[in-house]
Amino acid sequence: MDTTTVAVEQTVALAPEALFALFGAGRAAGWLFGARCDDVHVGAPVSLRLPLDRDGRQDVEVLGRLARVVPGVALDIEHTQPWRGRIGLRLAPAGAGRTRVRLRAEVPTGGLEWLLHRRGIPLPEPPDDGSLRLGAITNASGPGAVYSLSAELMAELAVAEINADGGIAGSPVRLVTADDGTDARQAAAEAVRMARLGCHAVFVNSTSASFEAVRRALAGRDVLVVHSVLNEGGGVSPTAVRFGERPRAQLEALVGPTMATTGSRRWFLVGEDYVWSHGVHAAARHVIARAGGRVVGESLTPLGTADFARVIERITASGSELVLSSLIGADEVAFERQSEAAGLRETVRTVSLVLEESTLAHIGERAGQGLRTALAYFQDGPLAGNDDLVRRYRSAYGAWAPAITALSETIYESIHRYARVRHLDAAGGAASHGRALMRRRTGAADVIGTRDLVAPTLYVAEAVGGRLRVVGEAP
Amino acid sequence: MEQNETLAFDALSDRVRRRILAALGEHGELSVGEIAGRIDAVGRTTVSSHLRVLRTSGLVRERRDGRNRFYSLDTDGAVRDAFVFLQSILRQGITDAAAAAGESSGGVQETG
Repeated sequence: MDTTTVAVEQTVALAPEALFALFGAGRAAGWLFGARCDDVHVGAPVSLRLPLDRDGRQDVEVLGRLARVVPGVALDIEHTQPWRGRIGLRLAPAGAGRTRVRLRAEVPTGGLEWLLHRRGIPLPEPPDDGSLRLGAITNASGPGAVYSLSAELMAELAVAEINADGGIAGSPVRLVTADDGTDARQAAAEAVRMARLGCHAVFVNSTSASFEAVRRALAGRDVLVVHSVLNEGGGVSPTAVRFGERPRAQLEALVGPTMATTGSRRWFLVGEDYVWSHGVHAAARHVIARAGGRVVGESLTPLGTADFARVIERITASGSELVLSSLIGADEVAFERQSEAAGLRETVRTVSLVLEESTLAHIGERAGQGLRTALAYFQDGPLAGNDDLVRRYRSAYGAWAPAITALSETIYESIHRYARVRHLDAAGGAASHGRALMRRRTGAADVIGTRDLVAPTLYVAEAVGGRLRVVGEAP
Repeated sequence: MEQNETLAFDALSDRVRRRILAALGEHGELSVGEIAGRIDAVGRTTVSSHLRVLRTSGLVRERRDGRNRFYSLDTDGAVRDAFVFLQSILRQGITDAAAAAGESSGGVQETG
């Protein structure tokens, strides 16, 4: 893939060491696009906000890790969002108390296409090369970008493995990817483009709102729509299927045991004001009541909320001892960081439904400590075949590639399963493939590549030292 | 360069212009009449004036064939525009560094 480098240079009135020390830290965090990096060392998660328009409404987060750190001299950020690239910073002394700052961005073709597309320029349409096309819609920007760091990589890995295995019924597979910006209307527009390009199936690794918009946009087009991340269920049809964890099962795994270990009963529900959290809260009221607990408060904030001060005040005032968060992505990061900063961890125990490795990394080790979740996959989890998967992934994308998560592993599994179904039924339509995808093999072992995606086995994990440590299998 | 930057910003800020670009992206080369036919409620004259803006900012290319004019995306121009845009963003990042340095040394002066 071609990479183009864009660079700028300026001299700044501060010595290199002093300027370097300001990076990502404290009150001067405005430096380099409001960089947030709790601890400047190699491998540390970092986020920057690129101003894509003049009034700041369209800021887009660059999410990655520090790949190189030489104090006072150099800093490299390897990022996957909104495109895969590298940003390099070089500092050199330029006389007493002055620094020559050089900032360089390496932008591969995919990054250039993302920029053009975001600016309204239509992307070139790939010519028909006889391959079988599949679409993957992920969140490369918007609030969902945080939980979607490895989604596109894992979709590509699945397709590469299928092609290495001879493709589907003799045809090579080509993946068409798109960023929906965590916006349902954009998801629908991307899905229509994918259908026009001849995609037979569209995998939606995005919100329930995006899935619903894609399902409507593609109704009657003989294109299979697969929601390949955890979701609240419902809204399926013969040509639209949903895989992944369900909140009811997650809650069964978390609510009772958390009440038993803490001896607490009073819950506060924190969610987003759309169909996902609405579904979670309905299930939570039921599960909590049956476990002998009580819901004493609830908040539903719009997706994209950055300030949770009011919500945290309400939690404190309610006398809750337990918090259930179904916030996603950047919202969950903001809520957990602000909760910890406000001292909420001293009085309240929190369980979170969409807490995978990437979101935890950006919440940070300190603010994340002790959070619990229940998901079907953890990168440090016990599933057979996982070591091999992690090795293949690292050898394809390198040491600083973001963690494999329950969400990205589910799109990987979904694409593999679709390939097997289509291989056996190459002439079938979307509805027949959809039915076959939902068929469960009874008694199948929980193994990478053939996991049960309809009613997955869940594992409970706790954040310890910045990692999700599996503490048990859900009954 | 500053001038072109502003032009491209403005060119893309308009909804009709973005729809013209989308139509050209989908169909390749189109005449003014064909573009107007694909965008509801916008006449040929309006389309022509929008095309002029897009051409000046390097996003659209014009080809004359006898009395007819055809328009297509200028991919090179669009790519150039994207890089100029990215460079302007990076420059802003460095300006942040200068501001941080200013605040920091300002703080030293105050306490010193």
